[in-house]
Formats: sequence, structure tokens, C-alpha cells
Amino acid sequence: MASFGKVLCGTLFTNPCLRVLSRSIGASKCYLNQSKIINNLHIQTCTAPVAGAGSSRWYSNTTAASRLSMIEVETRVLKTVMRHYSVKPPMTIEQIKKRVLLVLQLYDKVNPDKLSLESHFINDLGLDSLDHVEVIMAIEDEFGFEIPDEDAEKLHRPKDIVQYVCDREDIYD
Amino acid sequence: MSFIPYEIITHKRQVCSLYKKACRTIEDWYHYRPLMRIKIVRLRKRFDDNKNIIDVPTAQELLKKGQHELWANQHYYPHQFPSSPGGTAFDRDCFPPDWVLDSWHPLEKAQYPKYFAKREERKKEYIALWEKRWGKPFIPHDEH
Repeated sequence: MASFGKVLCGTLFTNPCLRVLSRSIGASKCYLNQSKIINNLHIQTCTAPVAGAGSSRWYSNTTAASRLSMIEVETRVLKTVMRHYSVKPPMTIEQIKKRVLLVLQLYDKVNPDKLSLESHFINDLGLDSLDHVEVIMAIEDEFGFEIPDEDAEKLHRPKDIVQYVCDREDIYD
Repeated sequence: MSFIPYEIITHKRQVCSLYKKACRTIEDWYHYRPLMRIKIVRLRKRFDDNKNIIDVPTAQELLKKGQHELWANQHYYPHQFPSSPGGTAFDRDCFPPDWVLDSWHPLEKAQYPKYFAKREERKKEYIALWEKRWGKPFIPHDEH
């Protein structure tokens, strides 16, 4: 299960279907947890503290019995397939290239056959400046940071975007 | 500091910026994706209708109208990227500037003699480079 989770995390950013799925999973999980907490609160208010172990915490017998083991907590918390901004997954230049190309391939105005890292957005791929803005917005959403207009209008080719992301994330191998 | 404009912003970039901000505003208001997409497609149609206007005053008037519409439709709690100004992680990772090393105590510096010897050389090289490019700094007489 752990390896499966890692594989999921690895493919998380490259597979848009998974990303969409993960959002809905995360939301439903939060909802479940909340309802569970509320149930526990009801039990807690009407029962006595658990005796023993020198703990000063007030738990009902049922709550204490149903406390999750560490493994269960890990499976619930760590296996949630979500994008966490506190810690970024390790990236390499190759991965960034693949992600940028994937974003561009999924854009309906780009012909995937003509697309390469060297192709110029406006001259080779035939996009106009508003399409370029849309591409930049897709890249922003993919990598989770804002690209100011001054920098965005210098990014004419996919390789420029790759270089920009690498500079920004401090990736050099 | 790339957020501070140091140059005259061209009309084209203003229009692109307006389009981007308008798209982001639509994304803030509509969370149901098909609805959001159709709104953005309609917005794009409005931009495309006016893309061939050569008359400058008309184009500027349209841009002004568009900016006003964007302002009127602004979201009360717009989405911010975490590392952008206003985001939750803005300036979270701060790196100490280089001059902090100069403020070390000599005893501390003595623990890394090789590095600091090299550093002094590099500082001299940098000053030489700076003076070659910009000339000697003007220091007025201190007359009281």
C-alpha cells in the first residue's frame, strides 16, 4: 500500500485525471473526519474519564477503544493524495520538461505533432498572445506559483518555461 | 521585485494582463468547471471580436471599459498563489543576505580561514569590477 501511495504521488502531477480525482477524495475525507469528530464529542460529554495510565485526558470507553493505531493514522493522513504546499515533491529537469509538454499537449489549440521543446508558441504553433496567456495560466496552475506578466512575455518556447521553472524552484539537475 | 513596473506597459501587455485577471476572476466566482469554462470561452469571444481594431482611441476606450468591468466584478476573496504577495507562504523561505558573513566575529571567521581568505579576494575583485563599470564612487567632503 505504501509503495502504491508513492507511485500515486509520483504520477500525481503528470496525470490530470488523478489530480481531479484527488481533489474529490480529499474533500470527502475531510467531511468524514469532521462527522466522526462530532460523534466523538457527543460521547465525550456524557461519560466519565478513562482511568489508568496516568492520563489526565477525558475519553469515553468507546472512544478509547476506538482510538486509531499509528498505522491507521498514517494510512488516513499520509495516503491522502493531495497537493501539499508545505513540502514539495523532489523534481528534476526531466520531470519538469515532461510536465510542461504534457500541459501543452492537453491544450486544444496546440498540435501535439508539431510540439517540441524548441517550438515557438507564436511562429511554430500558431498561437496568438491571448492563447499564450492561457498557456501561462495553465503552467501556473500546474506548478503552483504565479508568473508575472513581465516574465511571462519572455517565455516564447517550452524550453524557456522549463528554464524559468527550474530557476524558480532552484533545480539544476 | 519583478512586481514593480519599471517601464511603460504596452497596450498589448495591458490587454493580455486584463484577460488573465478576468479569467482568474471568473475562476474565483465559478467553481463548477463546465460553467467556468463556458464563461471564459465567452470572455475570449469578446476579446477576439475586438482584436482587429486599429484605431488607438477606440482601443484605449475599450481597454478602459474592460478594466472598469474587471474592477466592478472583483472577487471578495480572490485566490492567491501561496508564494505570491498576499499568499499564505509569501516570504516564508528567507535566505540571509551575503553581507551577514561579514558581520561574523573574527574568532568565528578563524574557524574557516580558507573560505574567508578567498572571500576577501572575491570582494576586491567585485569592487574592481564595479569601479570598472560605474567609475569611482563620489564621496563628498565631510565639511561641517
